[in-house]
Formats: sequence, C-alpha cells, structure tokens
Amino acid sequence: MKLELGNIIINDIQFTNEGSKVENGVLTVNPEQIKSLVLEDSNIESCEVFIARPGESVRITPVKDVIEPRVKVEGPGGIFPGWIAKVDTVGSGRTNVLKGAAVVTTGKIVGFQEGIIDMTGPGADYTPFSKTYNLVVKMEPVEGLKQHDHEYALRIAGFKVACFLGELGRAVTPDEIETFEFDNLVESAKKYPDLPRVAYVQMLQSQGLLHDTYVYGVDAKRTLTTIINPLETMDGAIVSGNCVSSCDKNPTYVHLNNKVIRELFKAHGKTLNFVGHIITNENVYLADKERSSNWSAKLAEYLGCDGVIISQEGFGNPDTDLIMNTKKIEAKGIKTVIITDEYAGRDGKSQSLADADPSANAVVTGGNANQVIVLPPMETVYGHLHFVDTIAGGSANNIDAHGNITVEIQAITGATNETGFHNLSAR
Amino acid sequence: MAKIKVVHYVNQFYAGIGGEEKADITPELRVGTVPAGDALNKAWGEEAEITHTIICGDSYFGENMDKASAEIMEMVKSTGADMFIAGPAFNAGRYGVACGTIATNVKNTLGIPVLTGMYVENPGADMYKTQIYIVATKDSGAGMRDAIKKMAPLALKLARGEKIEASCVEGYIPNGVRVNLFEKECGAARAVKMLIAKLNDKPFVTEFPMPDFDRVEPNPAVLDMSKATVALCTSGGSVPKGNPDRIESSSASHYGEYDITGVMSMDGDHWETAHGGYDPVYVNEDGNRCLPVDVLREMEASGRIGKLHNKFYTTVGNGTAVLSSKAFAEEYAQKMINDGVDCVIMTST
Amino acid sequence: MALEFIVITNNPLVQEKFADELNVDYEDIPFRDVLCKVRDLIHKGHRLLTHPLSGSVKPHETPYKSVLVTTKPSTMDLGEVSIIENAIITADKFAEKFPNMPQSVKEDFQLIDCTLITSGIDAVLRR
Repeated sequence: MKLELGNIIINDIQFTNEGSKVENGVLTVNPEQIKSLVLEDSNIESCEVFIARPGESVRITPVKDVIEPRVKVEGPGGIFPGWIAKVDTVGSGRTNVLKGAAVVTTGKIVGFQEGIIDMTGPGADYTPFSKTYNLVVKMEPVEGLKQHDHEYALRIAGFKVACFLGELGRAVTPDEIETFEFDNLVESAKKYPDLPRVAYVQMLQSQGLLHDTYVYGVDAKRTLTTIINPLETMDGAIVSGNCVSSCDKNPTYVHLNNKVIRELFKAHGKTLNFVGHIITNENVYLADKERSSNWSAKLAEYLGCDGVIISQEGFGNPDTDLIMNTKKIEAKGIKTVIITDEYAGRDGKSQSLADADPSANAVVTGGNANQVIVLPPMETVYGHLHFVDTIAGGSANNIDAHGNITVEIQAITGATNETGFHNLSAR
Repeated sequence: MAKIKVVHYVNQFYAGIGGEEKADITPELRVGTVPAGDALNKAWGEEAEITHTIICGDSYFGENMDKASAEIMEMVKSTGADMFIAGPAFNAGRYGVACGTIATNVKNTLGIPVLTGMYVENPGADMYKTQIYIVATKDSGAGMRDAIKKMAPLALKLARGEKIEASCVEGYIPNGVRVNLFEKECGAARAVKMLIAKLNDKPFVTEFPMPDFDRVEPNPAVLDMSKATVALCTSGGSVPKGNPDRIESSSASHYGEYDITGVMSMDGDHWETAHGGYDPVYVNEDGNRCLPVDVLREMEASGRIGKLHNKFYTTVGNGTAVLSSKAFAEEYAQKMINDGVDCVIMTST
Repeated sequence: MALEFIVITNNPLVQEKFADELNVDYEDIPFRDVLCKVRDLIHKGHRLLTHPLSGSVKPHETPYKSVLVTTKPSTMDLGEVSIIENAIITADKFAEKFPNMPQSVKEDFQLIDCTLITSGIDAVLRR
C-alpha cells in the first residue's frame, strides 16, 4: 500500500468576510462559515472562532482536541472514517494536509477541565501546539445537555471544521509530497531478509468519558488487540475522544502524525524492517488487560518480530497494561523499548510509575508530569480561564495577584506525550 | 562578584606524597594546590580558586573515621571556604568512601556546597550519591581531564546556588531525583535509536531505570491473630543499654538476640540504638519508636494477639551487606520457627 | 453463571445508579480509604476485578473511587496485591487540591468515576 501526503505549508491564518481559502501559504477563514457549520448541530448553542499564532500572547484553555485539517484528493475513503467519511479503508492514494495549521477545540464539558496551550512564554516550550497556527473553536452546549452528548458534539464539530478547512486545500498544489510505502509481510521479508523485524505496539486509552479512543468509529474498549496498517493510522483511522488528562492523552493531531510510525518509516529498509502496527487497548477490567496484552504478545510473535516499540497513553492504570505488554513480549524473546511518562512528585523523589518490572530495561520517558511551572499571564485567553484553578495539576488559589498561574506541567496539552511526540524527558 | 574560595580534599597519592606505603598519614592542611587542584583553578579562571588543600592517607581515614573526620571538619572550617571539593577518586574504593563521607559531613555540618567525583562502581558512589552530587568519572586517573571538565562548571553552579539540571546534562551520577530536560530529539526518535542499539546488542542507556526488585513471596495471612505468637525484629539497631554485643554502627557483622520476658516497654534507661545512620536521639529517648514492645504488650493484654515472643532479634541495617543480612535472618528465622513463632513484625528505620 | 462481584465505592452516583441491580458497598469515606478497604479485601482473598487507578483524573483531585472485587474470597493473588499497594503509594504522591469543591464539580467527578466503573461493570457482565 502507498500513501502520499501532500503538505501545503501554512504560514498564517487570517479572517475574512468573504469565502474561505488557502492561497500562498495563508489559510483565510470566514468565521461565519465555521460557526454555521458548527451550529448545524442543535446540541451546540453558541460558537466563537479565534486565531492563535505562534509567539502571540495567547492562552487557550481548556483544550479538548487538536486536529489537523486534511482532505482526501485521490484514492479510496475519506478523512476520519466512521465519523465524517464512510468506513472505507484509508491509507492509500493521496491526502492533502494543511501543514502547520490546527483546529483547537475548547469548551466546558465537565467542571474540572484542563489542557493549556500558551502560544508564548515558558509554557509554550512544553506544548507542541504553540508552534502551529491554530484556529480555536470555542463551543457552548444547549442547556441541560448531558456530558456524553456534549463530548460527542464537540468531537464531531472539531472533525467537521478540520475537514472544512482541509477541503480548501483540495485544489492547491502541495509544497512537498511525502510518500510512504508499506509492503505486505511476504514482500518485506523478501526485500529485507537481513534486517531486524520491528513492529509498533500502540496502547490506546479506553476507559470511559473523556478517556476514550476510536478506530474507524469503533470504541477501542470494545476491540480485541489487532493489526492495523500504519498508513491507515497516518490517514486518520484513529481519533481521540477528547480528554481530561491533556499532558499524556493523544489528541487526534498526534494520531495523524504519530512520530513512532514516522521514525520507524525513516529507519525502514536501513536499520530495521518495519513489519506492522499493533493496536491494543487500556481497559478498566483487569481480565481485559490480561487478554489484550496476551494478544499483543501473540501478534508480535505472529509478525515474526525481533523488536517492538510500545507506547502508552494516560496515567495510572495504563502502567499496568504497559508492564503486562512488556513482560509478555519480552518473554517471547522479542526486545522492547517502551515510551512512558512519570509522576515522580513535585520534588521528583517519588516512585515514577504505578507498576514496574525488570524486563522493562529500555525506557524512553516523556518527563515528570508533576514538575511545577509558573505561567505568566497572557494578554488574551480563549476559552475559560477560571477553570485553570480546577484543573489537574492546578490547585486551589494558584493564581497570584499578578495573574501568574502555578501548575504542574500535567495541565499542559501534550507536555509529556507518551508516543514520543514531544522532546521533554527526565533523568 | 568576589572570587569563590574553595578548599580541596585529596589523598596521599594525589598529593604526590606516595602510594600505599604512605596511606597512614594523618590529615594535613596546606595553603595552595596539588596538580588536580591546579587543573580546577585553571578551568575556573577568575571565577573561583582553591586556596587550601587538605591531605589525608586513605588507611588513616578508613581506620580512624570519626577522629579523622572531626579533624578535617575543623580544617575546612578554619579556611572559611565557600565550597568544598573532594577528589575525584575514580575507582579507588577507600579514597571514594573518604571523599563521600567527608563531603557529606561538610555539607550537613558546615552547610557549604560540596562536590566530589568518582567512577560509578566505586563503593563510595552507591553510599553517597543520593546525599551529595558526585560527578561520574572514568575508572582511573587517566580520566582526570574529563573529570575536571565536568566538575569545574558544576562546582560553580553549586557555589552560586544556581539551578542544577538533569544528571545527563551536568554529568553527575543519577541520584534518584527525577529532573526534566528538553532533548534535541523527540521521544519517538530516541525510542527507535534505543531499539536499534538493543537489537544489535550495542550499549544503550535507559532514561528511566526500573527500581531494584527483590521480591519475596509472602506467606498466607495469619487468620486468627488472637492465638498467634508474634515476634519483633529490627534493622534499626535496638540493643540493651551499653550495646553488650558491640553491634557495629554500620556494616554490622552480626545480630543480637535479647530476652524481653517481663519487659513492658523499651524505656530509655535500659535500651538504646547502635545504629549510626540516623539521628539516635528519639530512639534513645523511647526505644518503642523503633521496636514497639509497648503496643504489642497492650495487644497481648487485650487478646488482640496471642502473645509476644520473649526474644527479639536485632541488627544495624546501615551499610550492612545484603548477603550478611540474609545470613543473619536465615539463622534467627530457624530459631523462631523452633520456638513456635507464628508471625514476625520487622521494623526498619 | 456470571461472576458475582461487589462494587466498593464512595461515589453516591454509583450507589444511585446500581444499588437496585448490583451489590454496591457504598460508604461516605475518603478516596484513600476506598483503596485501603479494597486492599484489605484482597488480603482476605477477594479477587480484584478492575484497576484501582482507573482513569487519568488524579487521585485526590477527584474525591471519588469505585472498584470491583469478587463477592467470594478465594486465594490471595500476589499480582493484585502489588496493583493495589502501588495504587495506594501512587495516590499518596498527590495532595488533596480542592478541599472546598463546588457541588457542580463534585458531580462531574462523580460522573467520570461512574463512566469508568460502568465500563468495568459492562465488561464483567458481558453487556
């Protein structure tokens, strides 16, 4: 299978009263068009649209999802299969990408929201989304809307906006085209008989409201561990069900641009043979954890792997899934490297993980999420600032007289991402 | 800003006095530097300067630890230094332990910043890495240049009270405190590199070492505590006043067995601790804080437990080798089994 | 026959939603006490069915926790002892952040905990 990503490099977003368009690297948006699109859903009462550019004194919070605008221009399927497009298999043909742009959704689903993106200042270093040109979509639900329905409305609205913007790039000639080819097992074994066979085991958070992930529209907690073509993931097969823990829950943008997949493609045919992408869940029920990790080990063995990279998502109980996956895969003689993050306490002296095993001897960490940071005030806040004092990583009365907010970095979107998306680490 | 005044500790060898045959020399305070100190001064330029050097033989220090330590402490104090540096000791075991001991002492009693350096396998590293910054050096004096390159800037930061970055940035031996840093490459790129190294049996360094495990299968729960004989054991060094069996304050070579028939409480008149690794004041005041005889007597009286065993077993856990500890326990566990003990409460400090 | 289980919880919403249908052991106790209660049951041989650190909302940030254990004790499982002990150690790293939480936020935390445990209940009941 072959997928081309046509990257249209976006250097700015502007508002207009006329038609939205992409021209000369500028994404021009008519906010009224966005609003009427969002308000098609009768569960959404109101919608505001803002622009947040890198370096601006802007804070976005609480962030629910970050989505990359894309359009399918050639080949089967469409963007966000199971949600916006039908469930045709994606991952082939060509998809155009508004590279450098992102849709950031914000809204109050529950009262202890978190997820901060600062576009400048010390907080900006901790989020990958301070470097993207963000179209911020703030939505309020109709009164009395239940949280589940609210979450769903926000999620779909984000996808619709991303698809609307992506559509503007349909006829635009991309600045660069990246080509990714993924052979079937027999062909790749023939091509690279001497290279170590490596798969990617991706753990998807799947526990309940704001802790969910979907694959082709299916709730991941209702799935058995399975094999997906990495090109399908790169082409939008996996999406986020919004979040409460923003530092280590993957926004949809991260799924679309999964860096483990990209790095494995870079090494493919040179130092390793990338043979597959295994997706497994992180359920609440312990028997599910046992079963799912048994299946990851079985599938890694079935793919004839010499090594795997395992990535985690979320805090606490996924440590147990991570260690189960690692132990069982190592027990099959397959070498593992795992990506996690740490909760070592504010002083960095506490036990980092809720589970551990000596077989996990190769660990990449996204950093200590309990590290405290002081975020200076921003000129503009898009969203609901008053939630910052009731967010994970925040605490009561954590805003001082000058407007400085003291929080743990777990409040910052993507800070300690466990798919290795960001460059924060710890020793 | 005034030049930072540093005092430097070295052994007889790095002072150029001699090798093993001179290892018994007593502590001496000199004005000026030895060659390792010259290298540090050069690296610091106008920022800091070693004004004094303290020299002590490794054997002398090892055999007269308390006395030597006190003498050296006085010397450091007399110089009025802003900072204390010991070594680097590379892989010299006694030298490493001396550097770690003195530096920790200086930090705790004089309150000035300290730094030493040694090879990661030097026993001094394991003993002191969580208490002071120890720069990771090569295993021999051939690594002096490399050691100075790391020690000089870290010493300045410590002396100025600046923020100390992660161990891999500053070059110190990981001390169990997790510190965040921004890597040049994203986590995914680092993971793929690590995997390729692991697949090819090349060395790689995990970013998070798993904690050490020594898992012991617990026995089934005691279902009826009201009929159970409970024994007390401790690695906290509880002993009869005067420490009759002379259990060492660290690296204990044996354990003690003491009768507590009729003892209702570990009062400070009859009991104390032999432990040298924590402040003994509170346990010497009230020994129940380490070995809770008082509470168990109450439970015995109320019928919550069957009875308290009439002997307790004790040693000092401070720096005691795991193998010795295992040997002690195997021996006294058998004694307790023979005496019909049903369960044991082991207290640590 | 489906596995028989108890819902150990301090979440009134879970009590309200499941009390008629399931065996719910509800007590108005702090977060940590729920974990300790579960630990004691595991020591007695009850089997742990759901992970005590379900969800990414941090311990003590949310005051609510629900955990499923088997009704009948069998033999103590060491892996489960380790999970619950580690959960308590982890919870102790987080200080209570919002002692005066507004009722609306409490209700949201109740809802999140309820959806987490519902996914566990659904899995056990195969529905």
